[in-house]
Amino acid sequence: MLTNYIKIAWKVLLRHPFYTFITLFGITLTLTVLMVVTSFLDHLFGAHYPENKRSRSLYIASIIQTDSANTTMSSGPASFDFLTKYAKSLKSAERVAIMSNFSFSNAYVNGKRIKLNTKYTDVDFWSVTDFEFLEGKPYDETNVRNADHVAVITDALRDQYFGSDAATTVGRSIDIENIRYRVIGVVKGSPPTRIYTYSDVYFPYTSPKSNYENKGMRGRFAAIVLAEKASDREAVQAEFDQYVARIPKAEYSENNRFNVLVVKADTYFDHFLNMFVRSDKDRVMVYTIVGLVLLMIMGLPAVNLVNVNVSRILERASEIGVRKAFGAPSKALLWQFIIENVFITFIGGAFALLLTWVVIHFINSSGWIAYADLTINLPVFAISLLLCLVFGLLSGVLPAFRMSRLKIAEALKA
Amino acid sequence: MLRHLFKLIWNKKASHSLLIIEVWAAFMVLFGVLTLIVYNLRNYLQPIGFQYEQVWNLEVSSNQDTTALAEKLQRTMQRVRSYPEAIYASRMSSNTPFSANQIGNSVTYNKVDVGGDFYYTDGELAKVLDLPLKKGRWYNDADLAGKFVPLVINQQMEEKLFQNESGLNKIVKLDDKTSGKIVGIVDKFKAKGVYMSDNPGLFYMLRPDDRFNSNILIKTRPGTDANFEARLVKDIAMMLPGWGVEVGYLKDSRKNRENLTLVPVLIFLIISGFLLTNVALGLFGVLNLNIAKRKGEIGLRRAMGATEARVTGQFLGEIWVLATFSLVIGLIFAVQFPLMNVFDLDKETYFIAIVAAVAVIYMIVTLCAWFPSRQAATIHPAVALHEE
Repeated sequence: MLTNYIKIAWKVLLRHPFYTFITLFGITLTLTVLMVVTSFLDHLFGAHYPENKRSRSLYIASIIQTDSANTTMSSGPASFDFLTKYAKSLKSAERVAIMSNFSFSNAYVNGKRIKLNTKYTDVDFWSVTDFEFLEGKPYDETNVRNADHVAVITDALRDQYFGSDAATTVGRSIDIENIRYRVIGVVKGSPPTRIYTYSDVYFPYTSPKSNYENKGMRGRFAAIVLAEKASDREAVQAEFDQYVARIPKAEYSENNRFNVLVVKADTYFDHFLNMFVRSDKDRVMVYTIVGLVLLMIMGLPAVNLVNVNVSRILERASEIGVRKAFGAPSKALLWQFIIENVFITFIGGAFALLLTWVVIHFINSSGWIAYADLTINLPVFAISLLLCLVFGLLSGVLPAFRMSRLKIAEALKA
Repeated sequence: MLRHLFKLIWNKKASHSLLIIEVWAAFMVLFGVLTLIVYNLRNYLQPIGFQYEQVWNLEVSSNQDTTALAEKLQRTMQRVRSYPEAIYASRMSSNTPFSANQIGNSVTYNKVDVGGDFYYTDGELAKVLDLPLKKGRWYNDADLAGKFVPLVINQQMEEKLFQNESGLNKIVKLDDKTSGKIVGIVDKFKAKGVYMSDNPGLFYMLRPDDRFNSNILIKTRPGTDANFEARLVKDIAMMLPGWGVEVGYLKDSRKNRENLTLVPVLIFLIISGFLLTNVALGLFGVLNLNIAKRKGEIGLRRAMGATEARVTGQFLGEIWVLATFSLVIGLIFAVQFPLMNVFDLDKETYFIAIVAAVAVIYMIVTLCAWFPSRQAATIHPAVALHEE
């Protein structure tokens, strides 16, 4: 029966190429937009190089000091001291990495300027992240203790500074802001959308200008806390919340200006959302806007398809009439049209997959985001398929319902 | 005729309701995208008001050094001014042109309170950025001797703060303890580039003992290259051990800043372009089918002596009435934006966007209805009636 329905659907498609084109255009467009968007969201929030362990990581990125009436607020990254005290000491965590937010710097080579992003990290940073070392190795505790002037650089910077034909770079020196650093390792770079691991140069935190000795709570550092497994994260969060709750008021009140301290160890997505969303009201607002945009992107083509399908009832009227006259129940007809629509949607989905691949390839090679690694991976594809189905049903149910209720005599007359 | 058309639409409201929803949704999407475009375009048409081509931004950060910051900054300033490659140099707060930083504050005159961007600078800034003054003059070191903070404001600030009178030499309240005196007025200062709207702005003169504002804007001689930059960074880094030194060109930061505006607009434009194409195709298909169904009616009208143009006119009229229904619903939504002052855009932007969206919708539906109705109208009455 199913193959029959699909055969009929195929014949119907070929009968009117123009309407088929309209239908497929709508479906393909919508699914392409949705798939590119999901792929981009996956690029932002999924676990990718070099943060492959993101699914069991927690991020401590900002400290918010406020008062209970929410009139004054001050927020920003934490100090090295604060994170050492309250994050490094977490017993339930497997490892904790502390790194500075990236800052800018310049290096000069033969009268040419290279703009750099720099980052100061501790040793654990290299085990929490999964950087691929093309040459050399990361710095170790000895380097940190001796405050050695060593640096790990990315392959892009290596090519810019030493030339792409250089044999080995490990052991050579790089001059940044008038300080010589010895290159100790070269890693494959990461996209700037992963702000906690992205940089061009990585220094041990004891290098000059890292400000790690600053006292006080606020500074320029963030931490990634790695739990043993994803399900352990709640325990780590609970432990961290306990530590924070024990911080004496004198440390954060700044002469009684603030009486509320908010520091959270959040999953990457939550922490990202919290950067923009300060209250539940904002959260509702964000979700509403996102919902409306999605509704428009999905709803408009869906309404369009429904319109086209409803207008084409009469084309199929004789077929419906004959089937009903021979005793087919409305339900069977309804199913036929739903299956037909889902089938068409899947064809559109196949086109969309192809188109998405082209768009993603274009984004990755355009240099719009350096080291962009957008992919059509399994979760993205599964979500797209699901969307295909929802979409097919959305645009198929209403016309199908109306078609199956046609009176036999009327249908045969047309 | 019009009443007749309304009746025709009204009698088939059930089958037309989906079309109405579709046109309404298309209008809403258009309204959103056009608002974005109109807003940016109107800003784009206003000049930024200053020159930046040869200006560099030297940023020094004290890091862990806490001693004698003001003296060190003054020494750095003198050093920068001593280079022949630097024509002018001025200190400025972190919200330098095209940077991501913003400093917002408010100023009061006669109980009128106006918020705006505050730029903390010294007496050279007008020369570095070629900021022409409309009235008065730029502040200089002699002004610091008075008890009021020397200020320069832009035209927007003057209009908002003093309505119809001149703001020159007026004393304004900055906070509970300090007042300032306005010594000059500039036309525009769009520090964030062409896509920034012309917000009220205020320049606040730095005292020489200031310790916090450590950006130095340098106007370089034409033809200065990265070799001088490397020397500059090296010299300053030697002078200030442990400090961070960074140089950026305003040219480059302008590009980055403007891309931040352009990229989202482009993405929205592409997506909505596809959406509208999709709607147009769908409408065309639906109208084609609907008009083809009404051959009998057309044949009858033609047989009674209606011209081709009248028949075409009827179908166009029908789709216009339908579009008007949708637009009325759409307007009920869209008018809320200027009325409730959503997103703080001025009302004009919304109205231009609404008018443009209405025009585009009418254009799309006309284009979609034109071809099928022409085709239907040219049918010979005999043929059309024969089919029944």
